[in-house]
This record gives sequence, C-alpha cells and structure tokens, in this order.
Amino acid sequence: MGFFSPWFLGGVLAVGLPIWLHLLKRHKTDPQPFPSLMFFEHREQSSVQHRRLDYILLFILRTLMLVLLALLFANPFINRLTPKGAGQKLVVVAVDRSFSMRTKEGTSSRLDLAKSEALNVLSKVPPGQKGQVVALADTLQAMTQQTADPGELRGAVQAIRESDARASFGELARYLRTLSESTKTPIEVHLISDLQKSGMPPGFTDLRLDQDTDIVFHPVGKVQTNWTVETVIAPQHVYDPKRVRISATVTGFSAPAATRTVTLLMNGKTVGTKSVNVPENGRGSAEFTGLDAASYGFNRCEIRIDSADGLPADDSYAFSIERTDPKKVLFVDDGQRPKAQQYFRAALNATEDAAFQLEALRPDVAATADLSKYAVVVLNDLSSLPNGLEPSLQRYVMAGGSLFESIGPGSVALASGRAPVLDEAIEGTRYASREGERFFPVSDLDTGHDALKSVERFDGVKFYLAANVSATKSRVLARLSNGTPLVLERKVGEGKVLAFTSTFDGANNDMPLHYAWVPFVQKSVAYLGGGGSTEQPANLSVGEYVELRTGNEKGAQAEVQDPEGQRVLSLEESAQARNFELTREGFYEVRTAGGKRSLIAAHANRKESDLAVIPQESLDLWKATGSSGPPDGSGQGTGGEGKTTPWSLSPFILLLLLGVALAESVIADRYLRPHAQPQETKAA
Amino acid sequence: MLQRFLDPAVLAGISGLDLVAKTVVDGFISGLHRSPDFGFSQEFAEYRMYNPGDDLRHVDWNVFARSEKMFLKRYRGETNCQVSVLLDASRSMKYGSRGLEKMEYARFLAASICYLAHLQRDAAGLIVFDNEVRHFVPPSSRQGQIMRLLHGIDRAETGAETVLEKPFAHLVDYLRRRGLVVAISDFWEEPEAVIRTVAPLRSRGNELILFHVLDPQEIQPKLRGPVLLEDLESGVKMEVSPDYATHEYKGKMSAHLEDMKSRAAGANIDYFLVDTSRPLDEALRQYLAIRAGRL
Repeated sequence: MGFFSPWFLGGVLAVGLPIWLHLLKRHKTDPQPFPSLMFFEHREQSSVQHRRLDYILLFILRTLMLVLLALLFANPFINRLTPKGAGQKLVVVAVDRSFSMRTKEGTSSRLDLAKSEALNVLSKVPPGQKGQVVALADTLQAMTQQTADPGELRGAVQAIRESDARASFGELARYLRTLSESTKTPIEVHLISDLQKSGMPPGFTDLRLDQDTDIVFHPVGKVQTNWTVETVIAPQHVYDPKRVRISATVTGFSAPAATRTVTLLMNGKTVGTKSVNVPENGRGSAEFTGLDAASYGFNRCEIRIDSADGLPADDSYAFSIERTDPKKVLFVDDGQRPKAQQYFRAALNATEDAAFQLEALRPDVAATADLSKYAVVVLNDLSSLPNGLEPSLQRYVMAGGSLFESIGPGSVALASGRAPVLDEAIEGTRYASREGERFFPVSDLDTGHDALKSVERFDGVKFYLAANVSATKSRVLARLSNGTPLVLERKVGEGKVLAFTSTFDGANNDMPLHYAWVPFVQKSVAYLGGGGSTEQPANLSVGEYVELRTGNEKGAQAEVQDPEGQRVLSLEESAQARNFELTREGFYEVRTAGGKRSLIAAHANRKESDLAVIPQESLDLWKATGSSGPPDGSGQGTGGEGKTTPWSLSPFILLLLLGVALAESVIADRYLRPHAQPQETKAA
Repeated sequence: MLQRFLDPAVLAGISGLDLVAKTVVDGFISGLHRSPDFGFSQEFAEYRMYNPGDDLRHVDWNVFARSEKMFLKRYRGETNCQVSVLLDASRSMKYGSRGLEKMEYARFLAASICYLAHLQRDAAGLIVFDNEVRHFVPPSSRQGQIMRLLHGIDRAETGAETVLEKPFAHLVDYLRRRGLVVAISDFWEEPEAVIRTVAPLRSRGNELILFHVLDPQEIQPKLRGPVLLEDLESGVKMEVSPDYATHEYKGKMSAHLEDMKSRAAGANIDYFLVDTSRPLDEALRQYLAIRAGRL
C-alpha cells in the first residue's frame, strides 16, 4: 500500500480542531446562577453523562471525517494483480474490407487472402480464449460479440463482404482504445490488411493504443502497378450540349509511363475515346467537348480506361449530368437606364454554359405577359408602372415567383411612393458627392446569405446614391455605411423579393467595374431562380452523405434507390431521415422531401487506388504505442507473466467519508439542536 | 401607551425610585375609572335628599337653614387603612434573566403600592427581611412618610437566604394594628410552610396579599444545552439537561404554584403570581381590588 500524494497526510493535524472543541472547550463551562434548585434532582446528572457520551460519539465521527479527508487527498493505493497477470486475453481479428482489398493477387482477391489468414489466426486461438471479429473500412463493423465460440468467429470471417469505402486505421485504433477501457483485459489484435499508406490518419497520435493492447500485423498482397481515373470534371447541368466540356484525369500509382485509352460512355453507349499519355507515377488528362448524345433529363455517364492492372474496379469513374433548358429571366426595362440591361446580361452569361437566359420587355408589354414562365423577373428602376403590372407581379410572386428589383432615383418618382410588391416606403434618396471621394461603402453584410456569398463584402465598391427604403417588413441583407439598406429581402406568399436600392447601370455606383458584380448578379438570380450553390453536388465519393430534407418538409417522404434499383430507406427513415450515406459505387436515384429529383453518382475514394504500403518503421512505432516491450515486429503478443498495477482506494474512502458525514449530521442534529418549546395556552 | 410606562424594562431605566412609583401609579390611575364607592371623608362628592333613617350627623344644616330642606353631604371614600409592605430581600431575589432582577421588580412594586397608599392617605409601613428583619419603617400617614418608605425600599439589598419563619415571627410584633399586609417574595419554600408562616398575620384580622414574584426563566426554564446551575442561596451546583427542564421541572413548578394558590385560598389569603416580564399594573389592580374590599 502507498500514497500517490503522501504530503496531504499532514492534514491529519486538523484533528486537533475537534479535540479542542470537544475536550478542551467543553470544560470551560461556567456555572449559571439559578434562584433555587428545589425542583432539580441529582439523578439528572446521568442525562448529562449520556449527553457526554453523545458528544464523544460526535467527537469520534468528526475526527474520523478529518482523517478520511486527509487520506482522500493523500490518495492511497494498493498493488493489484492485473487481468493480464491472471492470464486473461481478448483476441481481436480485424479484417480489412476496404476498396483496395478488391485487388487481384493471382487468382484470388486480397480480401479472400485476408479471410484465409483470419481463419488461420483463429485456428491458433486456444480453446476458451475469447475473441472478436471486426471488419475494417471507413468505419468499424463488429461482426461478433466477444465470444469463445470458434465456430461463430469463423462464420463471422466468412461473412465479411468487400466494401467500396476507404480504410481508416485511425478508426480501428479508436475502437481498440474504447474496447480496452471497457473490457479491462489485455487485447491482442491481429490486423489483416494490405496496410495501405493512405489509410493512415493525419496525426500519428490517432493511432495510439492502450498499454495492454498488442497489435500483430498480417500484410496481405504486394505493391502493384495501378492506373485509375482519379477525377472527372463535368457540369452538373447541361443547357447547351455543344458547349459542354468534360475533363478526366488518369493517374498512375507505382506505374511506369504508359499510354491509356480513355473512353466516355453515356447511358451505356460510347460517346468518345481519347488516348492519354500518363508519365511515370504521374497524371494525364483527357478532355471531351460537346455532348450531343445527352438526352433531356438525367444521363448516366462514365469515364473508363483500359488499365489491365490488379484493381480493375477503379478503372471507371461514374458521374451524372442533367440536360435541361436554361431558365428564363425577364428584364423589365423602360429604357431610362440602357446600360443596366447590358451589364446585367453580361454578368449572367459570364459562364460558358449559362443556366439563365435573359429576355427583356418594356413595362407595358410585361404587364400583359404571362410571367409564370419566367424563373425570375427583374425590374430595372422603373419610374412608372403601367396599369396591371404591379397586380400581375403580385400574383406572380404570391404563386412562388421571384422578383429582383433595382430601386434607384427613378423608383423615387413612383406615384405610390412604395417599392413594387416589396411594399416598403421609398423615402427619397441618399446622395454622396463624387467630389472629394465622398461615397458610401458597404458596412454591414450578411455573408451567409446565398445571394451574397461570393461578393467579397463588396470590397472597393463605391455607392454614390441609394434610395432610402424603409425596412419595416423586409430583412436587410446589406447596409451602407450611412445606415441606408442596400439589399433587402422579403418573402411574399410562396415567392420572394430581393431589392437592390441602387441601380444596375453604374451611374450611381461603380459596382459593374468590380469583381463583386458578376457573383452578385449570378448568385442572386440563382438564389431566386433555384439551383446554384443551394443545390447539392451530384457526384460524390462513397462515404459521403446526401441531404434528403432541410427541416422544413415535415412528414414529406424522401426516396432513395440504390444502384440495383432497390429502395434503401425504411418507411420511418424516408419520413424522418435528414441524410443518407453512400455506401457503394454506382448511381443513386434520389427524391428529396422537398420533391426535387436528382441522380447521384457515387465512386470509390481514389486514395484507395494508391496501393503503397505503410513503412515498417511506422508499423513498429504503432505497435510500440500499445506494448510496453521493445517493438520486435515478430507478430507475437506479450506474454502472460504476473503484473501488478496500483489500484486507488479513493472511491471507497470517499464513500466512507460520505457515510461518516451523514452520521455526523444526524447525530449533531439530534443532540445539539435547541429543543422546541411546547405550545402553551395561557389565559389572557 | 400606558402599558409602556408600566413595562418593567422601561421602569428599570428610570433612576429615582420615587419617580418610578409616581410614573407607575399616575399612569395606572389615569387609566382607571374613578371608584363608584363613596365614603365619609374630607373630599366632598355630592348632595342627596334625606331619607328617614339616615344618620342626622351627615345632614348639611346650613342648607337646611337656607332652604328648610334636608340634604345629606356625601364624600369620597376614605379610610384609615394601615398598609404594611413586606419586602423579601433574600439572595434568590437577585436573579433576573431578562436584564431585570426580581429584587428590582419587587422594589418597583413595593414603591408603587406605598405611593398608592400615600395618595389614599393610608398609613403605610415597610418591612425588609431575608432570614431576619433588616429594615423597619412603622406605618404612618404623616408628611414625609412616603420618602422614608421609598428610602427604605431603595436601601433594600439582597442578603441571606430566605427563611420565612424567623422574620414572620417578629412581624406579628410589629403589626399591632389590623390592616392590609402585602408580602412580596419569591417564596422559595414549600407552599405548606409558606402558608403556615404567613397565616398568623391573617388571624390577627389583617388582610394579607401575597405577591409571588418569579422570573419567566424560573417558571419555564429554556436551556440551549446541558448547563451547570448554581443555587443562589445555598451555592449548590448541579448539571441540568434541557429535557429535564422542559418537561419534569415544568410539571413540578406548575404543581408548586397550584399548591401555593390553593393553600392561600384555603387560608383566605389573597395570592397573586407576578411574572417579572409582565407590567406592574396587574399587581396594582389586584392590590386595589383587595383594598376596595376593606372599605
């Protein structure tokens, strides 16, 4: 027995306090005068003696409390024989089933070899020894509980199936640490894997093992040459098939320079073929332009190479594209600001395959036009509204349309004095003189808003004039330095209105000259018309998640069909699940709770294509984190020699202290509390 | 308001005993209705028509001479009562748990009674005793008597233990004329002995009032824990537990007081328990009631 903090035993000196209170102070009691002791009897002294005994009990309890407190701080311990010393051990067989385990080694895959090795390991486990089989990928799957049944363990090994996920040795180490804490017995881990270097976590500390965990490595397979389609860059939506450009990167790992044939397939048909020169251990790219074969709707595309290596599964890269017509944007312009339309159109068409198509109409024509076919309607600082335009806009927005309006000096002249549909009062303009570089920069900005995400806080943009629009019903997204709202948003019915309190023509600001102009126009229109950054990507890696609902669609059903066309979600999941994890390669048909359909292409993480193995030095270091002995790499666990560990007695002392404190409280309350006087009724 | 002036704690702050007595009695009397009893004294009260059988000595002949009608003159009651105040000055009277000793309270009470008697032109006297008669002021209604009484009361200091037999045997010799005897003491004796001692006074034709002055702590002790008590008179020490003081002592004390009361009533002696935490007017009211019975 010993003490972790023996110097705290000095606290025992505090025992002097109750000694002073009980033994010294008590005898200083002075007699109290009383007129006559006629009615007191000598036998009452026995009561006092009894009370003295109670005081002695209190004294003992209080002294014991102080001693226990000092002991608690001193933290005593005894040496106990560990379970390891008692010869107990848990054998954990971890079989790697990551994507790279599909690699062929002769006629068998690496996974088959790993399973054979696992069975071999299990055959050496002594009868009665507990074991567990786990399957390793990006997450760890326990195939069995801790059991001593060899049949169950072997069956679990046979049940392991290959996965498209990447390996994560950090996840394995985390699981082993948790297991060690919960079982309190030594663990012997047999890791049967191709020991890919890419499976290592970013920090080596994530691999650390507990002291009584011994890890034994069983490498499977050898380093092989491997070519893969590493990335494919393709648009998610195709508006003009002739302008589409698809580029694919082919990478060779541990590979000599070679020429690979890259094939683009669309819906199972070959669209084009290219030859790519891939340097030694380098990358080569192929580019396909024009997708005339793309039909309207979702198209299942694939880039494939002829590698003839050991891992053919990574020779193809699936991706999906959706062909659709560009959405129409109506630009209502009264001709007062001709440059506005030009700048706006230029910004909207700045990308090669623009998602929006601008169409301009005069206000009197727009008043009679069918607005429902437009994704967004833009009002260019109209100074007057022809009859019928505002009611038509009101109906359009209420039904779910989007309105983007510029409110400048022209809008101040509106007869109603209010912004159309936004229904906010226009209280004149705020003007900053161009002389002396007097202008208003943007001071407050909601950078999290989809329309303002990439505008770089309107850096360098100078606003000389802005309409002063009250924001009683609207949310202000951006504000000028003088407090004037610059961008406002309001939801009206099912639709929304975005207002810009300056003009698009550059007369009242220099925004079209700055970087912020293009993203502002594109993001705003995308936000109002749908799509853009609000849309989730269609090409994802295995292990990533697909959003199924945003939280607003309560009770609505989401639907996911896996590459085999099977429904993946249960009824409960389809009504409640917020997202879904992609677990294998292929195309997933997804219908979100909001009703939006998409075709998601999932492909294995290309880090799995690099078959380079972990250096032996790293493996030795990893092994050393769990074993107290020197790393020998022999694959043998530490022996079962006797071993003791200090075992703290603090919890028991704490419990005892609580009990003593409770007893002290009860006794002190019982004997030291002033006795309540009985109620007496006295005659008045 | 009057209660405030009669509160013992307030009176303890007044320096002169005469002022205390005056404050108590004046405050007490101004709160009383005037006595409905009429007597024959120097203070004229009213006229009344003569009825046959009335004593002709009380007819106002001057009125008869002027009006030829017979009227009787009536005066406020006044007697030649002799009041003797017996003040116990034993050591046990020195006890006080609320800042006011029983002796001090007894002084206030004795002074107030003397002053009240003086106002009523009674011949008042004082006997201070413990186990002996320590001071004696013969009853008199002469001028300056009140000051002699108050001086005597003021000089009374607690001395020896209470032994009632010895002083009361002498008291019979002092009280030659029948009157009202007021005994103020804590009577720490057996009730039987007390009544046996004081009863001879009653047999001499005296009206006897016993004011049993006790501190609230004596009636119902409140102890916070076991204490060592010392008898003020005998010096005996004894450890006492709160349990005993709360239960058994209280029962014994109640029985003692009840015994005192019943034995006093049996001997036709007026007995009044005075709690030093209570105002003096209750004791004075008792005195006046008995004094009125003497008329």
